[in-house]
Amino acid sequence: MHDFIERITAYIHWALFLLLEVFSGLLLFKYNNYQGSIWFTQANTIAAYVHEWEAKALAYLRMPAENAELVQRNVLLQHETDSLRNLLAEALKDSSVTEKKQAEVLRDMKLIPAHIVDNSVRNRDNLLVINAGSNAGVEPEMGVVSGTGVVGIVSAVTPHYSLVISILNSHSSISCRLRRTDYFGYLKWKGGNTLRAYMEDVPRHAQIKVGDIVETSGFSNVFPAGIFLGKVAKIKNSSDGLAYELEILLGTDMSNLRHVNVISNQNKEELDSLRLR
Amino acid sequence: MIIPILKRITWALLLLAVQVLILNHVHPWGYGAPLLCTLVVITLPMGTSRSAALLWGFCIGLIADIFAGTAGISSAALTFTALVQPPILAFMAPRDSDEELHPSFSTMGRWNYFQFLAVLLLLHHIVYFALEGFSYFHFTDIVVSMLVSYISSLMLIVLVEHVRNPQK
Repeated sequence: MHDFIERITAYIHWALFLLLEVFSGLLLFKYNNYQGSIWFTQANTIAAYVHEWEAKALAYLRMPAENAELVQRNVLLQHETDSLRNLLAEALKDSSVTEKKQAEVLRDMKLIPAHIVDNSVRNRDNLLVINAGSNAGVEPEMGVVSGTGVVGIVSAVTPHYSLVISILNSHSSISCRLRRTDYFGYLKWKGGNTLRAYMEDVPRHAQIKVGDIVETSGFSNVFPAGIFLGKVAKIKNSSDGLAYELEILLGTDMSNLRHVNVISNQNKEELDSLRLR
Repeated sequence: MIIPILKRITWALLLLAVQVLILNHVHPWGYGAPLLCTLVVITLPMGTSRSAALLWGFCIGLIADIFAGTAGISSAALTFTALVQPPILAFMAPRDSDEELHPSFSTMGRWNYFQFLAVLLLLHHIVYFALEGFSYFHFTDIVVSMLVSYISSLMLIVLVEHVRNPQK
């Protein structure tokens, strides 16, 4: 009996090894479906806090250069306000029309500003963490944009942070269209170069030119229509030969992003319920 | 008993901090970053219980994963490395060595320890990048990434080990 127990304990590490590997495997696969537990991602509070602290430290180091830039910008803007004030004084006589139009476009949209706390670009499934969470009104499935175009879609939120599936993620698929001709397709990233993505399912009879602008289609109601995605760089045949596959040069360089905005579409629920009918 | 464990935990946290705050942002020519955390598992002394070694590997890997957003990859790879470290150490340690040998340049000899590092790191990188590359589209990218990361990790770790344990 003693001998038996000794023999078992001599092999117990193999059982432990299997257990730990199975657990890692579960994490790996669950995470790849990216709806998995928030606790094992960078968006868990401790990890996000460390990354935020790190981002702040880095931002502090860059301050001198940014300050110089801001001063320049300030002078420029002062000039601009001055000239605009003059123009405005002239235009005020008839401004009610433009104001109304702008209010109409922005009525359903709310922009929530956020900083990027953590960002990756070298994996196959890249994710970002931003410092706005459910307390700021962010919800899963909301779109995230920067000044240069689409960044990604919110996947999970905690009170102060959100996990965003970057467009540089093999699971990301964004409904898009060509601005000039209105043909639509899906934007996918296939790994490798962080500035190249592919627009799939473009019909063969579509007329496409290199340099055509690709923008969001607005079908998915995650993003409003017309947000810049990139430009057509190459036109290729899809693997089955039935459609075109366009290589897109993305407008947003994901590797040096800092500030983003989350788009909150207040009509989304209404639209979704309509679709279910 | 408790002092060496606390020392090791401090050492592990230090390496994890360097990994998370600095190395995860370093990508030589856009390829894989050096994996420094492996060093904690590599330097586990001879005679560490095998289960304890596995738990060390898994916990360090899990923390590295949470901060890098690679859930499961580091923990699986480091657990594997912790499984193969004791037999490889027993095989490569000098015959007349201490029963609780702490692997380093001074205890194992320069060339011997370098070989030990090279073998364990290679195994670790193969597992790590095989998992990362699961259904990856660019096979050559993964291989190049692995080699770049392997060479940079090896150089970095040799450097760290020289600083930590200068040869007489």
